[in-house]
Amino acid sequence: MSILSPLALLGAAVIGPLIIAIYLLKLRREERTISSTFLWRRVVRDVEANTPWQRLRRNLLLLLQLLLMLLLVVALARPFMTTQGISSGNLIMVIDRSASMGATDETPDRLGAAKQRALQLIDQLPDGGRATIIAIGGLMQVPVAATSDRRELRQAIEQIQLTTSGSSDLTQALTLASALAARESESEVAIISDGNVSLPSDLRLPARVSYFPVGRSGENVAISAISLQPEVSSQNLFVQVTNYGAQPVSRRLDLYLDGAVFNAYTLNLEPGREQSIIAEVPAQVQIAEAHLAGSDILPTDDRAFAVTTLGEAATVRLLSPGNRFLEVGLGLLPGIRLLVAPATTNSFTETVAQVPVTILDGVVPEPLPPGNLFFINPPRSTDYFSVTGEIEFPSVRPATGEEPLLRNVSMSDVSILKAVRIVPGSWAQIVVDSDGGPLLIAGERAGRRLAVMTFDLHNSDLPLQIAFPLLLSNLMNFLAPGVGNEAAQLRPGEPLSVQVDSQISEVRVTRPDGSRWSSRAEQLQGDQVIYAETEALGIYTVEEFGDGELLARRHYAANLFAPEESRLLPKDDLRIAQSSGLQSTLVREREGRQEFWRWVAMVALIVLVAEWLVYQRHGLHYLWSRWRSRRSVGSS
Amino acid sequence: MTTRTPLLEPAFLRQLDRLSLVTKRVMAGELQGERRSPRRGASVEFADFRHYTSGDDIRQVDWKLYARMERIFLKLFVAEDELNFHLLIDTSASMNWGEPLKLYHAKQLAAAFGYLALTNLDRVSVSACATTARSPQLPGVRGKRGAVPLFSFLQQLAPGGSADLTQFCRRYIQTARMPGPLLLCSDLLDPHWKEALEALTRRPFDVTVLHILAPQELRPLLDGDFRLMDSESGPAVEVSADADLLQRYAAHLRNWQGEIENFCHGHRMSYLQIDTAIPVEEFVLGYMRRRGLVR
Repeated sequence: MSILSPLALLGAAVIGPLIIAIYLLKLRREERTISSTFLWRRVVRDVEANTPWQRLRRNLLLLLQLLLMLLLVVALARPFMTTQGISSGNLIMVIDRSASMGATDETPDRLGAAKQRALQLIDQLPDGGRATIIAIGGLMQVPVAATSDRRELRQAIEQIQLTTSGSSDLTQALTLASALAARESESEVAIISDGNVSLPSDLRLPARVSYFPVGRSGENVAISAISLQPEVSSQNLFVQVTNYGAQPVSRRLDLYLDGAVFNAYTLNLEPGREQSIIAEVPAQVQIAEAHLAGSDILPTDDRAFAVTTLGEAATVRLLSPGNRFLEVGLGLLPGIRLLVAPATTNSFTETVAQVPVTILDGVVPEPLPPGNLFFINPPRSTDYFSVTGEIEFPSVRPATGEEPLLRNVSMSDVSILKAVRIVPGSWAQIVVDSDGGPLLIAGERAGRRLAVMTFDLHNSDLPLQIAFPLLLSNLMNFLAPGVGNEAAQLRPGEPLSVQVDSQISEVRVTRPDGSRWSSRAEQLQGDQVIYAETEALGIYTVEEFGDGELLARRHYAANLFAPEESRLLPKDDLRIAQSSGLQSTLVREREGRQEFWRWVAMVALIVLVAEWLVYQRHGLHYLWSRWRSRRSVGSS
Repeated sequence: MTTRTPLLEPAFLRQLDRLSLVTKRVMAGELQGERRSPRRGASVEFADFRHYTSGDDIRQVDWKLYARMERIFLKLFVAEDELNFHLLIDTSASMNWGEPLKLYHAKQLAAAFGYLALTNLDRVSVSACATTARSPQLPGVRGKRGAVPLFSFLQQLAPGGSADLTQFCRRYIQTARMPGPLLLCSDLLDPHWKEALEALTRRPFDVTVLHILAPQELRPLLDGDFRLMDSESGPAVEVSADADLLQRYAAHLRNWQGEIENFCHGHRMSYLQIDTAIPVEEFVLGYMRRRGLVR
C-alpha cells in the first residue's frame, strides 16, 4: 500500500494541533452566577468520585474528531494498492465476442469470464479516467466511446452478445484503437480474448497493449465440412470431423436425413487430424444433419447441416463470338445450364427468373440484357464503366484480404498480353488490379450484380491454369447466388439474397428456431430480397409466394465452419508492436493501482455521524427519557 | 403615597378578608382578641370550676352551684386573646435571584399572611434577616389599620449580602416578647440551616417554614461546561452539565428537601415548599386552603 499525494498528510500536522488547541480553549468555562452553590457543591462532590471516567467521556469527542481528521487526511492522500490490471487514464478495451468465446471451459463461458475481467478493469479505472469498448467478432462494434461514466461502461459490457458471424479480426479494432490512443499521451489498450485472432502485421500502436487471456482448454472436436453432392441417381453426403485438441478423442457422429436417424459412426480422432465420412444417401433427401454426440467445451460447432442441390440449375446465357474455354468451364460447373446465343443477339425476351446471368464475351449489346452481367473484354463503355484505352502486359496484383471471388484462386502467375483500360464506377470493388488499371472488378449496382474482366481469355494463359475453373465457379456463385454446390451454404451473418421478379408477391423465411419473417412490399421492388439476420446456425427455409401460391421453396444451411474459431487453445501472448518497442502484450505485475480512498471516506462519514451522536447525547438522552415517560404514562 | 405596584392585588385582598388563619397551638396574647387563649378570662365559653380562695373576684362565683352544693365555686371562662404573629424574612443575596424573584415572592407571602392576621385582630411583627446586626424590624401592628405600615415596610425591604440565618434566628427568639405563630420565609440555602431551624424551637413558637425556591433552582437548565458563581460569598463550583448531572442534582435537591421536611416534622414545625413559579394568590387560596391552613 502506498499513497499518491503524501503532501496531504501535512494537513494532519496542521489541523491536529488546531483541534487540540480549540479543545484546550474550550475548557475555559462559561461563568454563571446562581443563588447559591450550596446544592451544587454536594452534587459535584459525588461526581468527582468518578472523575477519570468523566474525563474520558469528555475526551471522547476529541478522540473522535482526531480520528475523523486522520481518516479524511488519509483519504485525501489517495492511498492505493497495486493490483494486476491497468493504470492509465484512457483505456481502450477490446473484447472478443466471436464464436470461440462461447466455449464453456470458463464459467459460465469465455465471454462471461471476459465480461468479468472487463468489469474488474473498469473498477480499476482511475478517477476521471475514460474508457472505450470495442467488441470484435463479426461486425466490429463500439458500444461506448471515451466515457468516464462507469455505469454506462458496465451496461455496455453486460450487453455484449456472442456472435457466430465472422472471425475475430483484430486489425480493424487495433487500427481504431491506435487512432484513439494517438489523441492522448497515456493510453492503454486491453485485449480480452482467447487469443485466436488475426493480428495486423504493419501496425505499431502508440499505447501500451495488455492482453488478458481467457480460457483454459483447447480440447474441441468440430464438424469442419459437410456437403450433399448430387450423383446420377443418388447423393453423396460428405462430412469431415476435425479434432482441434491435443488429446486423442473418440466421438460418435450421428447423421440424420430429413430429421430421421440415418447412421452413426464412431470416430477415433488423433490430435490435430481430421476424418471424413462419405455416405451415399437417397436422391430425395432434402436436408442432412450431422451431429457429434456427447459434448465438448464448444457445442456450437458440433452440429452441421447440408442442403441438397439436386435438380436446381441456373441458366447462364453466353453471348460470344465463340469461346471454347468458357463453354467448357461453365459446362463443368454443377447446377449451371448453359445457353449459348450468337454475339449479334440484341433482343432478350426471357425474364430474370428464367435467365438470371448473362455473360457478354467481347460484345456489349444495346440494350443490355436483364439480370446479372459478366462482361469480358468489353469493347465499349456502358452505364457502369467507361473504356478509355488499352494496357499492354499488365502486372497482376490480386486484392489482399479475404476476397470471396478469389477463394482458392492463385492469380500470381497469370500472364496477360493486353487488356482494356477501364474506369469503374463507384459500385465496383477491384478484385484483381494491375499497374495500368483494374483487371477484374465486381460489385452491385441497382440490385444487379456485375463483374467485369478486362482482358480477352485468348490473350492470357489464365484458361490454361487451375485457377480458371475455380475463379469461374466463384464468379458464378457471386453472379447466380442460390445455385450451385456452395450456394446452399451460408456463412453465419452473411446476407441471404433471393432473386425475385414480378411474379413473386411475398418471400417468407423460416429461421432455424421456427420463427418466420415475411418480406414487405417495398422490398420486392428491386430484383432481389435481402435477408440479413442469419446469425443463428441451422437451416433457413425460403419460400416464394405468388398471389398466395407457393412457387418455390429452398433451404439454406448456416454452419460455423471456421477453423480459427474451433481451435480453442488460448494463446499465452499476442505479438503486437507497440511504440515502446515491446512486442509482447503479457500483463506484468505492478500494473494497476486500486485506490480505496472512497472506503476511507466512508469510514470517516460513519465517524462523523458517531461524533455528532456523542455530541448530541444530552438531547438523545432527553428524547429517550421523554419517550419512556410517555410510554409509561400511556401504559398506566 | 407610593408609586410602586402594590404587593398584593386589591381583589386578592378582598378574598383574604373572608379567610382566617388556623393555628395549631393555643397561645397567650397580651390583649384581648379573637383567639382562644390558654388563660381563663372573660368570654361566653365555659372552661372550668374551681374552689374559691380568698381574694378571688366574687363576681365570678357561681351562685347557682352554691345554692345546690353550699360551697363556693368560681365559674371560669375561656379567655380570648390576640395572637402575636412573627414574620421572618430572609433578605440575603441568594433570595434576590430567580425568575420570578424569590424575595419578592417572600414579601408577597408575608404580606398575605400578615394581612390575614391583621383581619383577625392579631398582632403582626416583621423582621428581616440582613447582614447588619441591626436588622430592620416592624415592632408590631394590629388591626386592619396596620396593613398600611405592614405593606410599606415589606416594600422597603432591600436584599443585601450574606446573612447568618442562624445568628438572626437565635437573636430573634431571645428578644421576642410573646411567642406566637412564626413564619420563616427563606430559601434555606445555607450550610447551617439546621442550626437556624433548631434555634426557632427554643421557645414555643408555632413555626411554619416557607421554603421558597425559584424554578431555576428546582429544575436547572444547564448544558455544557460552566463555572457556577455563588451570589453570596460561597466558593465557585465547576460543572460539566449533562443530563446525568442534572438528574443527580434533582436527586440531591429531593433529598435535601426531604431532610428539611423530616427535621421540621420532628420539631413540630410546618414545612411548605414554595415554587416561585406558582403565583401567591394561587398558593394561598388553593394549596393552603386544601391543606386546611386557612379557613
